[in-house]
Amino acid sequence: MNTLLTLGQFGIFAGRVVRSSFTHKLPVARTIEEAYRIGVRSLPILLVISFFVGTNLALQGYVAFRPMGAQQMLGMFVGLAGVRELAPIMVAAMVSAKAGTEMASQIAVMRIREQIDALEVMAVDPYVYLVTPRFLGIVLVLPALTIISIATLIGSAWLVTVYQLGEPGGPFLALVWNTTSGTDLMVAGIKGGLFGSFICAVSCFCGFTSPPGPAGVGRATNAAVVISAVCCAILNYFVSEVAYG
Amino acid sequence: MDELWDRFRALGSFGRFSGAVLLRLFTTRWPLSEGAHQLWLLATRCALPVIAVTFPAGMVLALQGLQIFTLFGAQRLLSSLVGVAVFRELAPVLASVLVAAQGGSAFAAEIGAMRIREELDATEVMGIDPLKVHIVPRVAAALIATPILDLVGAVSGVMGGWLVAVVFRGETNGVFWANLWALSKPMDLGGGILKTTVFGGIIGLVATWKGYFASGGAAGVGRAVNDTVVIAVTSFVIANYFLTSALYGRG
Amino acid sequence: MTDNVDIIPHQDAIIRLENVSKRFGDLIVLDDVSMSFERGRTTAIIGPSGTGKSVLLKHLVGLLQPDSGHVWIGDVDMAVANEKLKYATRRRFGMLFQDGALFDSMSAGDNVAFPLLHHTTMSAEERRAKAEEKLALVELKGLYDRPTPALSGGQRKRVGLARAIIMEPEIVLFDEPNSGLDPLTSDTIDELIGKMKAALGITFIVITHDIVSAEAIADRVGMLWKGKLVAYQETSKFVHSTDPVVKRFLERNLGHRW
Repeated sequence: MNTLLTLGQFGIFAGRVVRSSFTHKLPVARTIEEAYRIGVRSLPILLVISFFVGTNLALQGYVAFRPMGAQQMLGMFVGLAGVRELAPIMVAAMVSAKAGTEMASQIAVMRIREQIDALEVMAVDPYVYLVTPRFLGIVLVLPALTIISIATLIGSAWLVTVYQLGEPGGPFLALVWNTTSGTDLMVAGIKGGLFGSFICAVSCFCGFTSPPGPAGVGRATNAAVVISAVCCAILNYFVSEVAYG
Repeated sequence: MDELWDRFRALGSFGRFSGAVLLRLFTTRWPLSEGAHQLWLLATRCALPVIAVTFPAGMVLALQGLQIFTLFGAQRLLSSLVGVAVFRELAPVLASVLVAAQGGSAFAAEIGAMRIREELDATEVMGIDPLKVHIVPRVAAALIATPILDLVGAVSGVMGGWLVAVVFRGETNGVFWANLWALSKPMDLGGGILKTTVFGGIIGLVATWKGYFASGGAAGVGRAVNDTVVIAVTSFVIANYFLTSALYGRG
Repeated sequence: MTDNVDIIPHQDAIIRLENVSKRFGDLIVLDDVSMSFERGRTTAIIGPSGTGKSVLLKHLVGLLQPDSGHVWIGDVDMAVANEKLKYATRRRFGMLFQDGALFDSMSAGDNVAFPLLHHTTMSAEERRAKAEEKLALVELKGLYDRPTPALSGGQRKRVGLARAIIMEPEIVLFDEPNSGLDPLTSDTIDELIGKMKAALGITFIVITHDIVSAEAIADRVGMLWKGKLVAYQETSKFVHSTDPVVKRFLERNLGHRW
């Protein structure tokens, strides 16, 4: 019952965000600022994670396919698993952990200090002021982050293939190239944007509905990252089913 | 340059903190009942998210796996791929990510709020070691809960794969179960448990460390939670590579 | 009970509450409250904490909707107004929040100038000049560039006050202007409110549990008790009220003076 109520509230919230985003003048400067902040601040960590996920992908693929005598499948495996699935979901996880939790905690702090009420009393729409720039920023930036993550992942998988596993690098890259189509990249980008919009909506919602006190801010931040992760994982299946099923 | 120096100092602080916590974990009589309580909270808080994430992950795995194997006419081997991928990587990594996101951030929030409300100081003034009563039970809970959740995630991931392969795509049920263990060994599950024990320790230590040194009111607690998730996830993705190399790679 | 509530003539009222009720779950916070606020005068609402004073205030600006009843600001009913109308009506208000509700990421002056940035086409210099002027009014001349976190509790309130009046509102609301301040700082805030009242001709509505401060600044005092308006009179009449609830509250809070 409570869950349903929250779900309803979230629906109203998302509706207001979308409506506010379209009925007001676009906050261009602040959107760019947010996009830059989300993009640049999440980038180092994303590169590190993409790198190590790539190395692991190659390592595990190799171990799994070796008994079948199909080491050449490795390139294909990295191409399919990495580009289509891992990169988008990893970007989502990282952005939700970094930018999403930040949004949730910032907005939650503003909520408990009555700053959001203050915005409303000053007749400044808090949705337009706080959510719209973040929303547009994240949707703009996530596809780009996804592509960067894909490149990093393939690069690090190549490194492991050549230097740790001692397999030839040329055929590996050729296989990656052959299995990855433009559509795959596009779908990955779309996934990124879609996950981004969910992460932003969920995180901001958790911030807006934060319980009082420092513990409340912690709980709101906590809920933001868990709910975003679950949403993205489930959403990922449906997008993959539609795109590749 | 200053920033780099700060990083080193933070690393030193984390090292000292971890040392102190681990020392107490193994050498003192910390409150077991509190540990059990935390374990129960952590496991129940995380179980549903772990299932909700590993299940669709298993479904996607089967979806994409079927595509590759259909090319080679080797659909019957699908479940072997699902088994290997889920047991070795998906379940351990996803279970850890969620323990970090759910449990770790909750630890950071709780301990951070205790710091802000001066409860940790009060504990100390009462002559009680806050590390022993507040921190150690949580770290112990993370150490034990993460491998358990790994197993939960493994079952749920395989079920997700089964749903797509057998129910949605009409592969044979018997073949799916027969080939599940074709490529993977019980050792793979053991490897996952080993990994997640390490990851659980990392998460527990990072989260309580961040909470313990939180400052700056409610905003500080929010920052501690944020940092916890990021640091924990990054460090175990890196640790994962080395553990995988040690366990399976020929290095 | 009604003999303790003096009626305000319709034409003098800038805000009228009609039978406003609000409950949170099982808790009845406002129970059929009807009252008016006079244009150009200062009204204080007192009562022990937890009797719905802040909730009442939030109804005036539409931050909360009543479960039943009407909140008339002029001829706009905030209880049913759509978002657009609500936002337009809020431009007539300024509000000082309990802890100031300042944005920590901005300087004191930028906080004051914030509404100008969003509601006017003033240039940066004009905004700054106007904000400096309001800061001077609250006796914080020269603190424009002070970072918000570096302000003391009393300074935060005064910056909040400067922000509340920057758009030259008709009505200014105060949520516990004296809470968390030492008596001396608290008196300064009261003086400031009195000074601005004389200078600006604004309608002030003050929520407080501090009867001394209410007596000092208000023309009229209302008392909320368990969600009901038990008394609402001219200040001089109110402090000599014979209503048992009011008397008990006054005695407890003014015991040392009466």
